Amino acid sequence: MTAVDFLNLLIAAVLLAGIYAVMSVGMTVIYGVMKIVNLAHAGFMMLGAYFAYELFERFHVDPLIGATLALPAFFLFGMAVHWLLIRRLPKSDQPTLSSLLLMFAFWLVLQNVGYLFWGNMDRSIFTPRTLKVLTLGPISISLLRLIVFFAAVLCVCALQLALSRSWYGRAMRALIQNPYAAQITGVDDERIARITFGLGTAFAGFAGALLAMLYSFSPDFGRPFLIRAFVIIVLGGLESVSGVAFGALVLALVETFSILYVPAGYQPAISFGLLVVVLLVFPRGIGGLLERKWRPA
Amino acid sequence: MKRFVGNFQPLFAAGILLVVLLLPLLGLTPNVIRILFITFVWITASLAWNLLGGVAGQVSFGFAVFYGLGAYAAALMINAGVNPALSFVGSAAVAALASFLIGIPTFRLRGPYFAIATIGVSEAVRVVMNNISAVGGAGGLRVTERGIFRQTEHYYAGLAIAVLAVCVSLLVERSKFGLALRAIRQDEDAAADVGINPFRCKLWIHAIAAALTGVAGGVFADYAAYIHPQGVFAFSTSVTILLMPVIGGIGTIWGAVLGAAVVTIVEEQLVAVFPQVHLLLYGLLLMLIVLLEPDGLVGLLRRILRRMHVDPSSRGPDKALWGRGRLEGREL
Repeated sequence: MTAVDFLNLLIAAVLLAGIYAVMSVGMTVIYGVMKIVNLAHAGFMMLGAYFAYELFERFHVDPLIGATLALPAFFLFGMAVHWLLIRRLPKSDQPTLSSLLLMFAFWLVLQNVGYLFWGNMDRSIFTPRTLKVLTLGPISISLLRLIVFFAAVLCVCALQLALSRSWYGRAMRALIQNPYAAQITGVDDERIARITFGLGTAFAGFAGALLAMLYSFSPDFGRPFLIRAFVIIVLGGLESVSGVAFGALVLALVETFSILYVPAGYQPAISFGLLVVVLLVFPRGIGGLLERKWRPA
Repeated sequence: MKRFVGNFQPLFAAGILLVVLLLPLLGLTPNVIRILFITFVWITASLAWNLLGGVAGQVSFGFAVFYGLGAYAAALMINAGVNPALSFVGSAAVAALASFLIGIPTFRLRGPYFAIATIGVSEAVRVVMNNISAVGGAGGLRVTERGIFRQTEHYYAGLAIAVLAVCVSLLVERSKFGLALRAIRQDEDAAADVGINPFRCKLWIHAIAAALTGVAGGVFADYAAYIHPQGVFAFSTSVTILLMPVIGGIGTIWGAVLGAAVVTIVEEQLVAVFPQVHLLLYGLLLMLIVLLEPDGLVGLLRRILRRMHVDPSSRGPDKALWGRGRLEGREL
């Protein structure tokens, strides 16, 4: 394998990592604050993809703008879903079976809504930008992937800033660290939970819209990404955005470089194989290892 | 004052068994027999899942992997000339072996992490089976037929495995092992503190559940005569297997059986008319169950019986809480 090939693959992996990060960060945030494993994340990503698709097909809105519009739209949608369904779940410190099943059921409903409106044919968004390639010497980068990468990174950095600077961000982090103490200091856990769920959904929709530019999609879109998001979360630990970024990078690298050794048909199974290997070696995920280093106790 | 009606459940069950045994002799249409057969297969899978998910509390979203492995194992063995009954045993063995391979890494995870990991397993195996042309790949595998298709043969095979699953569930429920599993479901760490080895118990119940599901898959393969990865390893198969006990009443035997019956009838009748709406129905039903009646249909029936001032417990007032699965507030 030549240096140029290696560099090409490396760049492809990094670009992929950006997308994977923005896809997983929504699930992470919801889990951290509410201890709910959001299986409907896949459904929200699917709706995000169709959102961008409809805007593109009907109003000729550039999908990037469509993705940006998805953020507030899905934020509101997420808050509505929380108000309607999620807040009725029994609260707990640990993830409960009821929340898992409820989110799963909601995912089924979203899938069916997808089938009802758009049928089960694959759709895709095709713009003149889709095929453009940037060439820097021997290295070629798909322009679309580069743009999507920057959009993703921007989003994730914005989230990190919001978490560290804004009042809501601090309230969220307080709830993640210790929900009881947070409530004692005056954090309204239900309101923050609603905002968090909205935020997580917004990111899911945004990620879905971005992915719609890269891949074709159908209402079943989302399941392989859900598994990947989960692998990333296990890899990176559930508590931080930087953990997610790390996990996303590892998964993207493994997936991209595995093309050299594994036949293409087995590709979807790679992420799971990685998960098993990581679980056998680090039962608490790599994030757990890092956590022990940072915290003195 | 509640009336205790005595333990009507064994009599009721025996009555149903008798009826079901004699049904083919009543001259029902082949379609009805077919639906009943499918119900038996699903009852088996449902009871199997209930052992792991309801009694032991480990929710798996990937049981299709055992169903599919059982189906393929039986198909390959029948094609090689092995007696079908023996090949079903082979299905059970293959599925149980797979359950150990799957369980050893994934049982380190708790609750929802385990659940999602099982999705990954099932999907990975489906992808792999899609690519192995030796077993047919994406094109599937045909089972060579042995003479004329005798529907009643398959009917009784299905009934046999359903009865087997009920017996295994009863045995587990009344054994010390079942008690250990319940303890693990309620609080794994506390169970470990009292001397139970959760890892080993989980592996064993996983194997039992996988074996039963594998046999169900094998019996189905023999009947269907053609299987393919998109069908037996599909995520929707895992979903169906999961939904049946949850809708019926997670943790209870009646619930698993009732749920399987309801889901099969809904699927058979509805899918023909509205092809895609069953996802919506399942989703809505599941949401209603989680939010309103976590004990499923059985829980609903219990509530109704209680309203009519009949004591629904099977063993008398002091043991009213025994053997009930609880969904709400259960921490994984």
